[in-house]
Amino acid sequence: MRLPAKVLAAVVCAATVIMPLGACGSSSESSQQDMIISYYASEPQNPLIPGDTNETGGGHVIDMLFSGLVGYDKDGNSVNEVAKSITAQDNNTVYDIVLNDDWTFDDGTPVTAESFTKAWSYTANATNAQMEASFFAPIEGYDDLQNGDAPSDAQLSGLDVISDYEFTVTLSAPSASFPIMLGCNAFYPLPESFYDDPAAYGEHPIGNGPYKFASWSHNQDILVTRNDDYRGNFPAHNDGIDFVIYTDVDTAYADVQAGNLDLLDTVPSSSAVTFQYDPTVQSVNNPGSVIQTYTIPSDTPHFGDDEEGHLRRQAISMAINRETLCDKIKGGTATPATDFLSPTVPGYSDSLEGSDVLTYNPDKARELWAEANAIFPWDDANDVVKFSYNSDNSSAKSLFEAVSHFVTNTLGVRAETNPISTFSEFRQEVTDRQLKTAFRTGWQPDYPSADNYLVQLYDSAAADGNGSNDGDYKNADFDALMDKAASATSTAEAISYYQQGEEILLRDLPATPLYYDNAVVVSAIGVQNVDTNWKNVPVLQDVTKDVSRK
Amino acid sequence: MGKYVLRRILQMIPVVLGTTLLIYALVFALPGDPVKAMFGEKPVNDAVAAQIRSEYNLDKPFIVQYLLFLKNALTLNFGNTFAGRPVIDVIAGAFPVTIKLALMAFVFEGLFGVIFGIISGLKKGTWYDSVILIVSLLLISVPTFVTGFVGQYLFGVKWQILPVTAGRNPGFLDLLMPACVLGSVSMAYIIRLTRTEVASNKTADYVRTARAKGMSNRAVTMRHILRNSLIPVVTYLGADLGSLMGGAMITERIFNIQGIGNTLWQAILRGEGTLTVSIVTLLVLVFVVCNLIVDLLYAVLDPRIRYE
Repeated sequence: MRLPAKVLAAVVCAATVIMPLGACGSSSESSQQDMIISYYASEPQNPLIPGDTNETGGGHVIDMLFSGLVGYDKDGNSVNEVAKSITAQDNNTVYDIVLNDDWTFDDGTPVTAESFTKAWSYTANATNAQMEASFFAPIEGYDDLQNGDAPSDAQLSGLDVISDYEFTVTLSAPSASFPIMLGCNAFYPLPESFYDDPAAYGEHPIGNGPYKFASWSHNQDILVTRNDDYRGNFPAHNDGIDFVIYTDVDTAYADVQAGNLDLLDTVPSSSAVTFQYDPTVQSVNNPGSVIQTYTIPSDTPHFGDDEEGHLRRQAISMAINRETLCDKIKGGTATPATDFLSPTVPGYSDSLEGSDVLTYNPDKARELWAEANAIFPWDDANDVVKFSYNSDNSSAKSLFEAVSHFVTNTLGVRAETNPISTFSEFRQEVTDRQLKTAFRTGWQPDYPSADNYLVQLYDSAAADGNGSNDGDYKNADFDALMDKAASATSTAEAISYYQQGEEILLRDLPATPLYYDNAVVVSAIGVQNVDTNWKNVPVLQDVTKDVSRK
Repeated sequence: MGKYVLRRILQMIPVVLGTTLLIYALVFALPGDPVKAMFGEKPVNDAVAAQIRSEYNLDKPFIVQYLLFLKNALTLNFGNTFAGRPVIDVIAGAFPVTIKLALMAFVFEGLFGVIFGIISGLKKGTWYDSVILIVSLLLISVPTFVTGFVGQYLFGVKWQILPVTAGRNPGFLDLLMPACVLGSVSMAYIIRLTRTEVASNKTADYVRTARAKGMSNRAVTMRHILRNSLIPVVTYLGADLGSLMGGAMITERIFNIQGIGNTLWQAILRGEGTLTVSIVTLLVLVFVVCNLIVDLLYAVLDPRIRYE
């Protein structure tokens, strides 16, 4: 067969025709005058269901669509939202919760006690494979729902509905911080319509928060609009939020510079040093709630939970100049750590007893190291201080290279880094306890309370794979203080126990605090009222902009 | 001819089976547990993890997983992503924009590559030829992401001539810069390929014969030089269309185009076996079909080539 020679030309022409056709979709800049704030986001990794959302891509959207029993103001204090009152009984093991009776979901149905109890039971039930199930572990009956064969609508036995607007929660152990936890997204209520078709609901959620769900174009954007029926403390001052999905932060930054994107809550490493002086953007840089640490497992040779280990841990900690790390490596977007919490959490302190171990003191470091050598000699030929990290995190590499330089320069011992290519590979080695080196750890709190940092990370109950105590640190005195804090009758009393616990940690250094990541927001010129909350996220409800500009 | 096409299509079956098996094995062998990674730095809830594993067949041995995938794929059921969306929807959502981008880049590189290549080849040795050679060398040696970021900064941020990112439902103008960036390296290769071919054919015996017979310069150039010079160029273009579809990963990231490359990148990062394999299989099919078309086009360009 011979095709006419013009076919080639025809193919080329056909291809050229496609392009102008494609152009129809563009430049559909609608003439809306609504004040919609566009905000950097990533595609949610799970359906938009509160109990199934454990990452920020979906989490930021969920937080705008729902209100829980309590909410958090920007300083991390919890205030009642749907709850009218939460009363502790029986040594903090039973909570009586009374609801306001005037809240409704976006579909008009009332928010009742069952909106909470049924949602919580659904999330806690392993049969339903919800990512946030563990949040319900403190509630009685949780263990009965963990074998994966309970019916999907089985209820937690610790939840007791008293009337349409009142229920009680029975915990399996005392917890003073349970009322604070109630503001987490796992505890948000769900309307009845959810249970008819959870999959469809996950694509089109119905909530009771300051915004209503409008649309979700997968991998492109999620639009939410102001909910005028919202009854709580955090009403929207704009008409909506457009969560624009990006896969590359550099790209998003360029869009902010050009004025196409209003808010970006992270800065690409390429602009980390310059963004505060960039005339094409505005920026906010506040101390934040994420703490970065490194953990040395308790069974690492020379670094055990004994006299020698403590001395060596302290020596290394004092060999590190945290000011330099924050200024040079993080470009001023981090604050040197002074405790195991963070500046946005009630209980934070920069003057705990023993906190000088977190300040740079090369002479003292060498002295402590020599003391440790007197107990058990360090073999310079074979012993190495090693730091493992995931190298897909762009700042981790420069950070740990700097840390190991500090160790070598101050103590005169060999220090190396051990990069592991991806985060999932890195975490696998951590959870399988294969790493016998110091490794990168960090913590972003779920709710603003000291126990979320301390109990989750350092309590014996969280060791051996039962929690996030990745170094398997076990100290009975520390555990006892955490238990006392859980039974405390006032926040001040609890905080004093938490701080005593932290002083033990400062001696043992199961993990060594390096710095707190600052809450950083870059916004386009013309965007106003940008501030950050305790979660390192901009307070989206308050952001406004001049719509006539564009 | 018909027989030939049929044989080539039948050949696709082992190719697709082989690649899916290979890719599935590679994704399976990726270090790290995707289900554990879903929990981030928070403790893994074993009961929930077990439930997710059984939902996605991740608790079964490798070969069983692969056969289940094949069985479902035959009924056009490619399963769900970890986010609970059907894989087929994800691909259907991402593919159109990639096709648009690839075709634009294809036209860009084909058109300008051939035109500049011909001019350069015909005027070999002139200053004009030298400029084209230097520019093409520059484009080949600079990585795409550099061209991308520099273009984005200059045209998008600084001068504000073209959009910085493609945005939703991108049109011609939104994709213009990404397409040029994507096609730039191949365009440079095509320039050089065309130039060399044209220059060597210009002095070939049959061209001299044609001229001796008194053919006009225009007819000699069009009928004899160009036609013979384009055979390797068409081969290159055909193979390149396939890689434009799959290789747009970097360009798509820079310009925030939610196409196949970007989707594939994320699927690999999350260790999503079914999504990765489905996309790669599709790309293999595109590649094989492109090659078939190229082989058929040979017959158009060169009458000596026949398919039995």
